[in-house]
Amino acid sequence: MNAPTPGLAIALTGVRHRFRDRGRSIAALDGLDITVPAGEVLAIVGPSGSGKSTLLNLLDGRLRGWDGGALILGHPLSPKSQLSRRARIRTGFVFQNFALIERATVRQNVLNGRLGHADVLSSLLGRFSDADHAAVDQALIDTGIADLADSRVDRLSGGQRQRVAIARCLAQDPDLILADEPVSNLDPRTAEEMLALLEGAARNRKATLIFTSHQPDLATRHADRVVALNDGKIAFDGLADDLTPRDLDRIYGTQDLAPAAALRLVG
Amino acid sequence: MHPRSRPRPAFWTAWPGLIIAGVVLWAIATTEVDLTRLGAAGPRFADFIARMIPPDFTVWPEVTQGLMETLRIAIIGTIGCILLSAVLGPLAASTITPPWVHGPIRSILAVLRAVPLILVAMLMVGAVGLGPLPGILAIVLHGTGMLAKFYAEAIEDVDRAPVAALDSAGATMLQRLRFAIWPQMAPVILRDTIFRFELNLRESLILGVVGAGGIGFYIQTYIRSFQYQKAATVTLAIIAIVVLIEIVNAALRRRVA
Repeated sequence: MNAPTPGLAIALTGVRHRFRDRGRSIAALDGLDITVPAGEVLAIVGPSGSGKSTLLNLLDGRLRGWDGGALILGHPLSPKSQLSRRARIRTGFVFQNFALIERATVRQNVLNGRLGHADVLSSLLGRFSDADHAAVDQALIDTGIADLADSRVDRLSGGQRQRVAIARCLAQDPDLILADEPVSNLDPRTAEEMLALLEGAARNRKATLIFTSHQPDLATRHADRVVALNDGKIAFDGLADDLTPRDLDRIYGTQDLAPAAALRLVG
Repeated sequence: MHPRSRPRPAFWTAWPGLIIAGVVLWAIATTEVDLTRLGAAGPRFADFIARMIPPDFTVWPEVTQGLMETLRIAIIGTIGCILLSAVLGPLAASTITPPWVHGPIRSILAVLRAVPLILVAMLMVGAVGLGPLPGILAIVLHGTGMLAKFYAEAIEDVDRAPVAALDSAGATMLQRLRFAIWPQMAPVILRDTIFRFELNLRESLILGVVGAGGIGFYIQTYIRSFQYQKAATVTLAIIAIVVLIEIVNAALRRRVA
């Protein structure tokens, strides 16, 4: 296992994961080496089934049965055991389907992001510290939903729900934010807003942000760096500005599309 | 032309209709329905109503007593349903128990639901004698058949995504139960329990007819002894309480929606 490198949020070496589908063994992650400096905004792109979500679940410590070395914020990750509570607190996750409690209010949902910090017994009795409440208030302001704090989530629009999910993640005060297809359920304008919000929040807090997307144009506009996956392998790893239509052809197999269509993918 | 759209022989398209027609004919032909008796029913019914008027309110104390006993049977019976369902519900939930546990439990619940309450009550009267106790036992058995199934469904319908989200945020198992699982289940369980209480109260109104306690005893007694004015009072009291339950329940359900 590598020694922790200062200033490095993530270090993956030779990470492999296979799963079985109808009797066939399929490589979801096929020997990945990725390092991510702290504070970077990294987009992971690639076609459906290329391993984006698997990689994010691995980084969140929720994937079982993989090989290789992984250091997340200095903690070695094990394929067999769950990360400690203290380590899980430092990594926030934004889910594609928001994963909110529909009948609870916005504030209650955002407060759930503090559960890792809160004293277990007090939290079970519904008591949270001033620091917890302050973090929630700040997250609500940062995501622009302070006026919705007492609304029930099931009354909100898709964009508002994703703001709540982002607020819950920010309330957790993470050093690493992982977002799995955070905008794929949203209309283009809201998607743009939401990615700008995530990016801004991460940069303000000097947190590392890693998000997956199947829209390379969105990804390149908000990320410093892009890693493209194809069949579990790295097909591109470089600055977002260096991603060319030809790279996209290679990643997405869009040779039969007109060059203009491929260009539109990059925006 | 697609081969499936060729007209099929008349018999093959008509057989469901033929079966239904056969069943209806069988029911009409073999049931002794003497339509001429309907002609005499009008005057008799009018006579029946006339004998009920005016209702005899001197029996009000007995009626209130009977109603209160019915209410007590429903309350205690519902508590029994809740306690049994709190154990059987989780055991019947396919998301948390293996098939060899939830399979048999579900079958037992289905049988409990299928046996009519009045039949369970008669069996209980045979087992423990007359009075409210057999009524309560009948309500507990019959009601649990439905309520435990509802509880199991509430558990099965819990969305796993928020649970995983809180896990990822560092929440412990108890915190996930309290903040992700319970908030999803609680409103459903509350709504279903209120609904079961309403059914228990309605159904226990007639328990007294078979000697299992409550207001039903008075319906039985007054009608059998031709005291129609007293029976009218009981009928009015039952209509009043059913309407009242309806109103209270509608209000409660709005609150937990």
